[in-house]
Amino acid sequence: MTTATLEKAAAAEAPRKQKVILAEGNEAAALGVALARPDMVSVYPITPQSSLVEHLAKLIADGRMDADIVDAEGEHSVLSVLQGGALAGARTYTATCGPGLAFMFEPYFRTPGMRLPIVLTIVTRDGITPQSVWGGHQDAMTVREAGWIQVYCESVQEVLDTTVMAFKIAEHHDVMLPVNVCLDGNYLSYGASRVEMPDQADVDEFMGEKDVNWHVALDPLRPMAVDPLTGGTTGKGPQTFVRYRKGQCSGMQNALRVIEEVHADWAKRIGRSFAPLVEEYRLDDADFAIMTLGSMTGAAKDAIDEARDAGKKVGLIKIKTFSPFPVEALMKALAKVKALGVIDRSVGFRWNCGPMYQETLGALYRLGRFIPSMSFIGGLAGADITVPHVHRVINETEALLNGAAAPTEPVWLNEKE
Amino acid sequence: MGRAYSTIAFDPAKCDGCGDCMTACAQAKTGTDDIARSRIQIYGRDGAADKTFELALCRQCADPKCVTVCPAGALSKDGTSGVIGWDASKCVDCLLCTVGCSYAGIALDETTGHVSKCDTCDGNPACVPACSKGALKYITTANIYNEVGDWEDLFAPGLAGCQGCNTELLMRHTLRRVGPDTVLATPPGCVPGMGSVGFNGTTGTKVPVFHPLLTNTAAMLAGIKRQYKRVGRDVQALAIAGDGGASDVGFQSLSGAAERGEQMLFMVVDNEGYMNTGMQRSSCTPYGAWTSTTPVGETQRGKTQDAKNLPLIMVNHRCAYVATASTAYMEDLYDKLDKAIAASKTGFAYLHVYSPCTTGWRFPSNLNMEVARKAVETNFVMLWEYTPQDGLHFTKPVDDPLPVTDYLKAMGRFRHLSPEQVEHIQKKVVENQKFVERMTEHAHVG
Ligand code: SF4
Repeated sequence: MTTATLEKAAAAEAPRKQKVILAEGNEAAALGVALARPDMVSVYPITPQSSLVEHLAKLIADGRMDADIVDAEGEHSVLSVLQGGALAGARTYTATCGPGLAFMFEPYFRTPGMRLPIVLTIVTRDGITPQSVWGGHQDAMTVREAGWIQVYCESVQEVLDTTVMAFKIAEHHDVMLPVNVCLDGNYLSYGASRVEMPDQADVDEFMGEKDVNWHVALDPLRPMAVDPLTGGTTGKGPQTFVRYRKGQCSGMQNALRVIEEVHADWAKRIGRSFAPLVEEYRLDDADFAIMTLGSMTGAAKDAIDEARDAGKKVGLIKIKTFSPFPVEALMKALAKVKALGVIDRSVGFRWNCGPMYQETLGALYRLGRFIPSMSFIGGLAGADITVPHVHRVINETEALLNGAAAPTEPVWLNEKE
Repeated sequence: MGRAYSTIAFDPAKCDGCGDCMTACAQAKTGTDDIARSRIQIYGRDGAADKTFELALCRQCADPKCVTVCPAGALSKDGTSGVIGWDASKCVDCLLCTVGCSYAGIALDETTGHVSKCDTCDGNPACVPACSKGALKYITTANIYNEVGDWEDLFAPGLAGCQGCNTELLMRHTLRRVGPDTVLATPPGCVPGMGSVGFNGTTGTKVPVFHPLLTNTAAMLAGIKRQYKRVGRDVQALAIAGDGGASDVGFQSLSGAAERGEQMLFMVVDNEGYMNTGMQRSSCTPYGAWTSTTPVGETQRGKTQDAKNLPLIMVNHRCAYVATASTAYMEDLYDKLDKAIAASKTGFAYLHVYSPCTTGWRFPSNLNMEVARKAVETNFVMLWEYTPQDGLHFTKPVDDPLPVTDYLKAMGRFRHLSPEQVEHIQKKVVENQKFVERMTEHAHVG
């Protein structure tokens, strides 16, 4: 869907009365959590996520949110507490980033294995070392094979809306997988902007009855062994294991459809919509395109508008849902372009390019196409991706269109500033 | 097999030295209020600084020394009631029995010139109901097992433990006592290795059970308990964990949960190592012990560090309840289990059970209880309990401990010890005993 059609779709619905507030991304995430009415949140502070858990604590302290809050002694326990809560039927939430996510990894990869619909905001932060406390997508990219759904937000409003929708996606019977809502550390976490607050009653109607935890439960009323030892080399062990893994994979693929359905339902009820998987911006008649992820998209759209004014036929593809990778939707978008530049805010060490660029090459292969393409890496450790940066991406991609050889190395946007 | 007899049990923690038991006995047996003539004697009433009281009373021993030393055959054990009776017509007043009894259970009644001893008032002892503090109990040790036998066994039959392992005993008894409204966590170790969680889709218990990570047992249980509390259901959160995960990699989660006062019962089965995965050392492994990662070779002879004292660390979390226990003292363990369950309704309860490992400690499988008992009799292991209100006190004080060699020589894992290493261990035992003794004086806040 193009932005224009999205706007039209939104306008077609009579928007409900919504309170307008000024909020930072972290506050918007906390408000989104409160709207979804979780039973339990467990938290540990870490930069740049800390103000998010402070907002949650305050919402609970003020009685604006009725959830049990567990101030655990570290992210490892944070997620473990939530696993316990979810196994007893709770709707659960937490947030973390960077080193905290790394510390959480042991329970992190177990959560999708148990099919627990936990929602976790990653306030994205670049990896250490070198030491850095600033934004970047390295943390979320590093865990991309752990089996979580990962969606990235472009704006503070999108953070709020996506956070609420994440619960519904996670808990859907055809999905039952945990969701990461990724919001860019520093840019979105601390960037304040105008936010429309949906009405609680509308959100309650949207969420419907809570229906979590019917597949695994630690409940004395119906005793079962949750996650018994599986696998090995004999008997039905290997088959059982394969069955579990395939189940996770199909939950992941089902999520593509469910994410679209949930977004459509949100647009209908709340009157505001976002591209659920892939957003195409001025792409219909484009000769070439650039690809973005997260908050950099704002600057990129401005640069595209300027380039269009200068007569360049360039469009933009924004990835919203990164895991499951929206191959079909992306192929549809890629079919329209003859050269491509992909901007990553993280590093793929194995291929010496951005991770999203790697994934895109896979989609192109599936499409049976070779188009000249380049990897750009920028915005590491809090660096800016500005309109001039995006112009460089546009120009170098345009050169590919005109027959320039694609470099085998990525272009590092903030290298010489 | 000996049979179980009734006896009068004394809990020094509850006794405040009032002397009502003595008055009741004197009245029942002599018709006077002269407590000097009471057959039950409470010592320490003369203003001893530590305010603890001791008991002198006939224990109606199963293998009574007084009977064997009596030259006149005036003392005999009744095979039915178990009471040791004294026959005045045979007594020659030699008083040898008073020396033979190590509990001061027989004393000279100077008024009559004869010895006098407790006869349990025909199975209805006057002293017991006279104690308003509950410090005296008339019990039959075997009753505890009968009572437990009436409760449902909540583990599947045929758990896959090593021969002679006492952990299955501990698991079955604990779960029977805790009951079916329980969520059980058994982190990686011997307990799930025995099949408590089941294999390949099966389950080993009749209560909901799960296999947390080695690192996060307390945190996961906390989440479960909190959600049930939130929805108003009374569900017991119980962990049966090994010492390795709890004292090493899972300690952070354990400590965090204790600090937050999460309402659960966390039981550690301490076999002093990672015994399920090949007998590697843990921080609970004692100094000098052979394990597969502290081998005996030319330059190193077993573990070079002392064990971490996990239960004492838990005391410093001011948990609602902390106790050490041993399967060689089941009655004591049961008492502590009851208290731990009660405490877990309001806060964090921690029970540390010393559990000898036939396989990893290298001793014959029929000697498990014997090894467990020797650990206590040598003070290598001390049995105590703690609450913030009452502080810390011994439940099975051992005043004249056996030399630690009596314990060490019972096992192959200490076979290689040099005299210096044995000396180090003996020194540490005394040091630990003194340390815990000091805590009995200082650990309470009341
Ligand atoms: S009556 Fe009870 S409290 Fe008093 S001395 Fe006797 S045992 Fe102790």
